[in-house]
Amino acid sequence: MSVLTPLLAYAGLVPLLTFLSFVLVGFLGNRLKGLEWGGWIAVLLSGAAMVVGTLVAVAEMLSPGQYTDVSYTWLTVPGSPGTFPNGVSLVIGFLVDPLSALMLLVVTIVGFLVMLYSIGYMHHDHGLPRYYAELSLFLTAMTGLVLADNLLEFFLFWELVGVCSYFLIGFYYEKPSAASAAKEAFLVTRVGDVLFLLGIFIYFATYATAGGGAGWAASGFKFANGTQPFLGPLVGTNTPLLTVAGLMILGGAAGKSAQFPLHVWLPDAMEGPTTVSALIHAATMVAAGVYLLAVTSVFLGFTPDDQFAIVAIGGITCFFAATMAVVNTDIKRVVAYSTISQLGYMVLAVGAGVTMVGMYHLFTHAFFKALLFLAAGSVIHAVGTQDLFKMGGLRRTMPLTAGAFLVGALSLSGIFPFAGFFSKDDILGSVFQAAQAHPAYWPFFLLALATVFLTSYYIFRAWFLAFGGPAPRDASLPTAHEGPWVMRVPLIVLSGFAIAAGFFVFDPAFASLLPGAGVPPTYTATDLGLSAVSLGLAGSGIALSYTLWGNGRIAAAPTGIAAQMRTVLLNRYYFKVGYDWIGRRAVYTVARSADFVERYVIDGTIRGFEKLFSRGSDLLRRAQTGIVSDYAGYVVAGLVGVLLLILYVGPAIVQSMGGG
Amino acid sequence: MVGILSLTLLTLLLTAVLTFLSGRYAKFVALAGSLVFLAEVGLMIADFTQWAGFGAGGVPQYNYSETYPWISLAWLHINYTVGVDGISLILVLLTAFLQLATVVYSWNESKSPALWFGLVALTGLGCFGVFVALDILLFFLFWEAVLIPMFFMIGYWGGPRRRYAALKFFVYTHVASIVMLVSLLALAFYSGASSFDFGSLYGPARTLMPATQVVLFLGMFFGFGVKFPIVPFHTWLPDAHVEAPTGGSVLLAGLLLKLGGYGLIRWAVELLPTGAHDLAPLLYLVAFTSIIWGALVALAQRDLKRMVAYSSINHMGIVLLAIAVGSSLGITAAVLLMFAHGVVSGLLFMVSGSVHHTFGTRDVSALGGITPRTPALATMVMLGALASLGLPALISFPAEFTALLATWDQLGYWVVVPLLLLVVTAAFYLWMMQRVLFGPPKGIPPTAHDLPRVELAGMAILAGLAIIFGVLPGLLVHVIVSSPISGWP
Repeated sequence: MSVLTPLLAYAGLVPLLTFLSFVLVGFLGNRLKGLEWGGWIAVLLSGAAMVVGTLVAVAEMLSPGQYTDVSYTWLTVPGSPGTFPNGVSLVIGFLVDPLSALMLLVVTIVGFLVMLYSIGYMHHDHGLPRYYAELSLFLTAMTGLVLADNLLEFFLFWELVGVCSYFLIGFYYEKPSAASAAKEAFLVTRVGDVLFLLGIFIYFATYATAGGGAGWAASGFKFANGTQPFLGPLVGTNTPLLTVAGLMILGGAAGKSAQFPLHVWLPDAMEGPTTVSALIHAATMVAAGVYLLAVTSVFLGFTPDDQFAIVAIGGITCFFAATMAVVNTDIKRVVAYSTISQLGYMVLAVGAGVTMVGMYHLFTHAFFKALLFLAAGSVIHAVGTQDLFKMGGLRRTMPLTAGAFLVGALSLSGIFPFAGFFSKDDILGSVFQAAQAHPAYWPFFLLALATVFLTSYYIFRAWFLAFGGPAPRDASLPTAHEGPWVMRVPLIVLSGFAIAAGFFVFDPAFASLLPGAGVPPTYTATDLGLSAVSLGLAGSGIALSYTLWGNGRIAAAPTGIAAQMRTVLLNRYYFKVGYDWIGRRAVYTVARSADFVERYVIDGTIRGFEKLFSRGSDLLRRAQTGIVSDYAGYVVAGLVGVLLLILYVGPAIVQSMGGG
Repeated sequence: MVGILSLTLLTLLLTAVLTFLSGRYAKFVALAGSLVFLAEVGLMIADFTQWAGFGAGGVPQYNYSETYPWISLAWLHINYTVGVDGISLILVLLTAFLQLATVVYSWNESKSPALWFGLVALTGLGCFGVFVALDILLFFLFWEAVLIPMFFMIGYWGGPRRRYAALKFFVYTHVASIVMLVSLLALAFYSGASSFDFGSLYGPARTLMPATQVVLFLGMFFGFGVKFPIVPFHTWLPDAHVEAPTGGSVLLAGLLLKLGGYGLIRWAVELLPTGAHDLAPLLYLVAFTSIIWGALVALAQRDLKRMVAYSSINHMGIVLLAIAVGSSLGITAAVLLMFAHGVVSGLLFMVSGSVHHTFGTRDVSALGGITPRTPALATMVMLGALASLGLPALISFPAEFTALLATWDQLGYWVVVPLLLLVVTAAFYLWMMQRVLFGPPKGIPPTAHDLPRVELAGMAILAGLAIIFGVLPGLLVHVIVSSPISGWP
């Protein structure tokens, strides 16, 4: 208990504050020119949200392991025989536990810094009220997701962050590429969402009557029951149904966190403003998939088969995405691929059973990745291009940005003592340990280890290309300059986090947000050896990068098989082409055929009948003699017919069908 | 003492008659009548705490019920019986809102306005009657009464092929009505009841032999199903929608399709539970076919209205699926989804109509980048599309979620079929938005301007409902579950 503990019940204030910002800016934005079209209102309210969010997190640190849940009934349906004998309650609530406190810290801090940075970065754009309103709505949905106290609510906010991401990727909607990227992101994640829904159904139905009270279903399917998990750790063995449920959750997470094979949308999402990339497509929303896996593993549990699948997806993704970053020439996309790759590390950790280590990496990654994006944004803001090969020598004109990007790059590469070093080494060490118990994990551990080399290589290649050398390679670029203070302050603050966030865990209060993670690392001889190996790999990546691209050098284009590999990588392993084919050719062709059948077969048959009837009615017209007694005869005949039908034919049919 | 249901019926009748007679003031009369109607429904809901429950002998009671003898024969009593439970009350609420929204949206109708607004009021009257009638003959009268105004709306105010579409609509639904009537009459005779009252049919009908129930249910399923509409008896719907004027489309999709769903629940499933149970595989098959077919064909449409029409077939397929599931969760979801679909498809048809007025075409491939010129219209397009594809915080989401949860409960992995089609639904709406709203401007006439106020107001009513009940679906569910649904097998 501490002074702050009562605050835990008011965590719902955080989404409310940003929602207020959404309403104010959304409805008044066009009249708020003096406040940068409402931008300052958004900064102020997201700042307030950050203060509350941080205090809530601190309160949770001071009373470790506490679960505080405040929930409201959304709808209640009474029971009927079947799976839900006690009825179904759906609730909306706010749960503060170590997991959500950690996420709340990340989301509100990065959210506020990005909002502040936007004031400078977006200054010249049109449609600013829309921008700030959408960003505020995003923060509302994201904090709602973080605090969700059941899977349905999680899904609800999950979809809302998705639609905000859709709006913001398509912020420059006049650009066809932006409109198309927005649609692609929505659709690809929708595939994951559908799987996620199926997973929810399975969990809900399987455990409907489990737990205390009238059972889980009647209690709103909540994660926590007062001060402890509602269902407890459930799963130790493989049952097919639960394995499927876990896989479906993994599918949902893969869509949102851009994991193989649903990774295609994230690089294209870079069509949105860079601030959006930093907040949504690096630090927070894309990490929601990892958060979902973490929440599920804590409150519901995965089967061993699920865990293997998660490890495999994580391991493959982290390597696979890194290879594509190696050849890319767009500064934002390089960072985007590194995001996919780092998310792969987190997924790997959750799969290997060290959930909190994955969350630890999520925490440090949020800061150094937001930093990298905002630094890249500074560059784009200054020179107006994203092409690394047109840049060069920018460290002379933009020393702060160059320094910030360097800090981010060192942290991403996992160089001691930057934040990324601690969390990534924790992952490698824990997976190494897990692999000794589960030999099937070995290949994915090795992929993760190899990725360390690729990571430091590609991110320093980007740094050398943009900031190294004497001057920009494209002389037509405008002379670069640093942004205004609103852009510089976030860079400095985030640099601080990217350097220091790794040390937080040495504070026992903070480490209480990561229960069971075994952080700070124990540093046995094996761990130290592994650290040495990974540092060596990272260092040689930097060295190779310097040899090829340092001091303004441009490496010669590869030839032979290497050139072919480069083409494959630049085409992203042809995944996008394949998905486009499925969407545009396969499904659309089926739809067109259905439309053809609809028009000419189904409706055609009907028209055939119409013709038949109009011919037939010509014949029948001859029965219309105009003589009343004839008609009376028809009426009597008809009545008799109906009576016969009801009295004799009907029962006969019924009897023949086995009735009595 | 006249009860509130009769009072409301009288209000609607009076509104319709006065509107027909009041020439150029017709719209004011219609608006006033709609507001009074809404107020009366509001009173009913405010006063509705709990379903009246089962009376003596297991006969279901209804709230605000009234019975007056109407036609008495030696062996048969036909009564004027009306009453509501949670299910009908929610659909009555939908009727009141849609009638109001349609009157507001079509405020500037210049072609025979008195006739137009009178027909709108008459449609509201018919639908209200169907939802409250608890006697076979009364029910059938209202059921048929709905066809007439819609036939004239399509046939007189419609597009170029209006005569064909109106006739097709009439023939289809009329044939279905006859089958339905014959089944209902047969039900009454077989059950041996001495009255057409729902209450007196209830006990005897439910105890009919399984085979009889199956045959009768089959007839009713066809009769109500054509209104849904179910594939393959659905081709009247796209034609009717494409030719119908906007207000007609709103009422057609928003209300008339609900008559089928309501009829199936009240007169078929409630009275013939065993028949419903035994025929569930057929219902599932038809529901899945409608869901798949509606979504796939919608994906191939370039006409905005046709796209929305086929998505209606898809959504009503989910309603049928939820009814077929039959648990209290399923029926609740079905009713909630009907309300949701009424609101959202109403909004989408208004949007399609406004796109047509504004740009002279509804062809998705002929338009582009309309957002900067018509921001309000673009916002409504987006809101409607997002609501229809099931975005949380909008009304369809809780309905679809509960419907699919109930489906998993009964059918297991079959739920994957409607789930996957959710991706297709998202695909055609997103594709439409990408082409119509975003990208460089295309196909925008220089005279195009943003929505007239009345059209925006009409849409705002429905958009507001979609948001309010999307955030607080419990308000509706609380009423819906106050119905005899929890006692079903």
